[in-house]
Amino acid sequence: MLSTGRHRPSSVPGTFTRTGFTGTLCRVMSAPWLDVLDDTIRACAAHNRPDLAERLREKRARQLDPKLRVLVIGEPGQGKSQLVNAMVNAPVCPVGDDATTTVPTFVQHAETPSAALVRGASIANTPTERIPVPIDQLASRVSADQGGGDLVRAEIGIPRALLDSGLVLIDTPGVGDLRPAHTASTFAALLQADAVLMVSDATAELTGSELELLKRVMTSCPNVTVVLTKIDIAVQWRRVVERNRAHLARAGVAAKLIPVSAALRLRAAKTGDKALNAESGFPELLACVRQDIVAAADVLARRTVAVTAASAIKQLVTPVREELTARGSRAAGGKGAEDTIATLNEAQRRIDELRRRSARWQTVLADEMADLVSDIEYDLRDRTRKIMREVDKTFETADPALGWDKFESWLEDSLTEAATTNFAWLLDRSEWVAEKVAKSFPVVRDDLLPGSIFPDDVLDRVSPMEKPVIEKFSVVQKAFTGLKGSYGGVLMFGLATSLAGMPLINAISLGAGALFGGKSIIDESDQRLRRRQAAAKSAAARHVDDFFIKFSKDCRDAARHIQRSLRNHFSTLAEELQETLLESARSARRAVQDDNSERERRSLEAKRELDHLVALYQRVQALAGGQAPPLGISA
Amino acid sequence: MLDGTTLEDEVWALLEDALAVYRDSPRAVAWLRGHQARFAEPVRVAVAGSRRSGKSTVVSALIGEEFAPTGATTWYQDGPQAKAHVGPYEVPVTRRDGKAFVDAPDAERVVVEWPSRSLRDLILIDTPAEAPVEQVYGEADAVLYLTRHMHTTDVRYLQTAHDHPVARAAPVNTVLVLARADEIGGGRIDALSSAKQIARRYRREATVTPLCQNVVAVAGLLAVAARTVRADEFTALSRLAALARTDLDKHLLSADRFVADDFPVRLDPAARRGLVDRFGVFGVRLTTTLIRQGFDTQVKLTGQLVQRSGLGELRDSVGIYFTERRDALKARSALLGLDVVLRAEPRPGSIGLATAVERILASTHDFRELRLLAALQGGRTRLPGDLDAEASRLVGGLGTNPVVRLGMDYEPTEGELRHAVLDTLGRWRDHAVDPALDHAQRRAASVVVRSCEGMLAPLS
Repeated sequence: MLSTGRHRPSSVPGTFTRTGFTGTLCRVMSAPWLDVLDDTIRACAAHNRPDLAERLREKRARQLDPKLRVLVIGEPGQGKSQLVNAMVNAPVCPVGDDATTTVPTFVQHAETPSAALVRGASIANTPTERIPVPIDQLASRVSADQGGGDLVRAEIGIPRALLDSGLVLIDTPGVGDLRPAHTASTFAALLQADAVLMVSDATAELTGSELELLKRVMTSCPNVTVVLTKIDIAVQWRRVVERNRAHLARAGVAAKLIPVSAALRLRAAKTGDKALNAESGFPELLACVRQDIVAAADVLARRTVAVTAASAIKQLVTPVREELTARGSRAAGGKGAEDTIATLNEAQRRIDELRRRSARWQTVLADEMADLVSDIEYDLRDRTRKIMREVDKTFETADPALGWDKFESWLEDSLTEAATTNFAWLLDRSEWVAEKVAKSFPVVRDDLLPGSIFPDDVLDRVSPMEKPVIEKFSVVQKAFTGLKGSYGGVLMFGLATSLAGMPLINAISLGAGALFGGKSIIDESDQRLRRRQAAAKSAAARHVDDFFIKFSKDCRDAARHIQRSLRNHFSTLAEELQETLLESARSARRAVQDDNSERERRSLEAKRELDHLVALYQRVQALAGGQAPPLGISA
Repeated sequence: MLDGTTLEDEVWALLEDALAVYRDSPRAVAWLRGHQARFAEPVRVAVAGSRRSGKSTVVSALIGEEFAPTGATTWYQDGPQAKAHVGPYEVPVTRRDGKAFVDAPDAERVVVEWPSRSLRDLILIDTPAEAPVEQVYGEADAVLYLTRHMHTTDVRYLQTAHDHPVARAAPVNTVLVLARADEIGGGRIDALSSAKQIARRYRREATVTPLCQNVVAVAGLLAVAARTVRADEFTALSRLAALARTDLDKHLLSADRFVADDFPVRLDPAARRGLVDRFGVFGVRLTTTLIRQGFDTQVKLTGQLVQRSGLGELRDSVGIYFTERRDALKARSALLGLDVVLRAEPRPGSIGLATAVERILASTHDFRELRLLAALQGGRTRLPGDLDAEASRLVGGLGTNPVVRLGMDYEPTEGELRHAVLDTLGRWRDHAVDPALDHAQRRAASVVVRSCEGMLAPLS
């Protein structure tokens, strides 16, 4: 019965051509692997895994297809295309020194040589367009077509006894090439493969990435033969063969390894040199392809189906088993109920905790902001006093009549600097306060801190003249650059008014230049100088005082504003948290009250499902002749 | 550096500062002192790559002596006589199958001193394939990365190497080598020109360009043979070349046939095996063809082989990108080393040092040049028309010698040179304020201006 499946003796060519397709289908209907595959597909559908079912259906369709696809895979520049050429003894695939093959190329039997480009959405789908091209122009047409992007494969037909039995050789772009699209198209082609020839050249051993690739290939197509190419130029190829066998054994890959030389084979074909052909290793490779791939098609089909079905069933089993374990542990001696009650208690405890803490964070916020306001005010007072002292010291000796304008700008700068440092400190501290408040919340969340600690209009309270725009979540730096400009403006205005009408600045002295050089160019009495100095001091003092009162009020307002916005933010947050916790408490309570009998029913159902899957898996194992690994569960 | 201020002094001073900050940590002090000592050394060039990518062969070719691979990280440096050390112990250097062989089976690191002119301004480090990328890039100032075909794993390796704040700020220290170029195309006689074409393609490949300064194709086996060909080998090759071409070709179809019993010339099979081991099938094919074409003395043949094997180009690349950029590379390594200390043992003083590292990276003109070069090669910055190529030449993309920078194909007098620099400077000053260019382009132009000014400084 097994032999009715895929067995197509190569001695009867053309038995299962496209026209004979229906006949083949009827005959394979009874094949055991097909039953198992269909059952697995049904199981996949029942477990809501349409993706798996789809994959298996594709595999099924391919197994029923009379074509036998052999994929030639490998890293770039290993000689894949040349291998295909040497196998069919014709330069059908373009060969080059750089990455040459850009689309999978299907080489199959045809009465007369022909070639075609196939377009479509993807290699797995039905092609949308098939354009015949002259066989000698295929390479140039493929490379010219790279821009279009929907070229999925090239097809070449040549009359060859090897391909007569329905064998299709698929040459693929190198895996691990710098263009990911090439690698992707190779893996898409891999899904269709019945057997794989993995190509690696004999100048070096199998690399880590090649072994990776080999393992990856094994998961979707277990029938792999490793072909070692270019043994003509590799002096040490025998040692490489040995080492590669060891590498394969270590990686647990049961694959045949065949060393060949395409160059020798092609040369032998040209000269008709039989000995050279034997030397090329190709007779062995072709024999292997005939025996292990073409003749053993049914075994192959079973093996491929077994691997695919096994992997699908494993994926189905996992969630069912997890559910069963969870239920089992709950059902065991009412322990489940205890767990649920513990969850409920935990939820309630966390609500209480939140309530307790929410009282705390409000206190923290109020206290910290009060401290902050008083600290800020002290800092500002300290700074302005220092400035005043500097002013006093200056006017002990200097003549305000000389270089008053420079003094004016110095005073402006000093005050602005005091204001900006002070304000920056305010912003820094508020940020710190916000973090501290956030810490008193019993949860960790990304959005615990408000997006911006400073309300957009915080500076409105500072500057009545200009409104600098600060972006959201502004860096402190930015905030006080804006401040600097505006406050400077206020200051100039204030100082100008306070000095208006003062008699001490006379027109003659203004042009004097140097800032308080101590030298007077006008002969004046000490008396008048003293009076001028006193007037300057008191003008400056009045101005600094005005500044202090105005700016400290601004700062207090800003701080209050920040406090208010923080309070709003954190209360909303607290409410949200409470709602979440209440919800989880409610669901925990529902779980406790859940009907016992309903639970039992579901448990039984899951157990039945698992039994079914295990039975199916055993059938798969039987199919593979014990090749599939055990599922690792007992039903 | 181009002008009088030296990057080296600046970095040295920074290391001194760091030593003061970390004077109580013996580990940090030892590390920093090591980096100070590195300053005086020649540029360290590591040869890295996956297994069997031809690392030892390329090292041998660069030194001009065939070394058997040790399996350990092996340092090759100049010395008065041939000797090797494992730690403090001297190990013998012997000859095995004609190769210099260091007998140190379980060593992790071997230091070989070898009298060679090639090692005068270069320390070569042969790294094992499994050496972690951080170690390779940490020990070396520059890296030759070898690969047979550019594979995604290679790209990942190089990306890891560049994933560091200092490495990003001063990106330039890798040259990609397509080693074993002789195996391309199944050892066809024109394999090397084809390999050079592939190298050219990689140079333009968007994924590869930002990761290396240049891509060079080298036939390692041939390069070694070129530098070490012996008289008896030459005689044997000449006798082979004397055969009729068709006769010889039959026996050069495969390595097996070349050492088989029926051979038209009386050459010992062992000698033939030696030849094919040393030269490869391709090497024998190429050398016999060359001898037939008239390169029939050992000197002529060697010259041809050095050029054809790509060794010349590789040496040029090492010169332009590594030894000529010694100061920048050394400074870069020192800053990387300092960065390690600052991260590993943060302390109050280290913030100031970190700022200083950043300042040097941002403001030093050498690094600016290297960054611009990387940006131009990676296509992140584009200048209109011919300016693109000229800019990368002027900032030292082809070499840092003023004559090379200016693209002059003759040896100019000082006056001519001065004239050329002034002319170029004037033009690029205009580009730097050209309103038709965008901001990035004008900034690139101002880097070029600064390079020109640097060339002018020693002239006036």
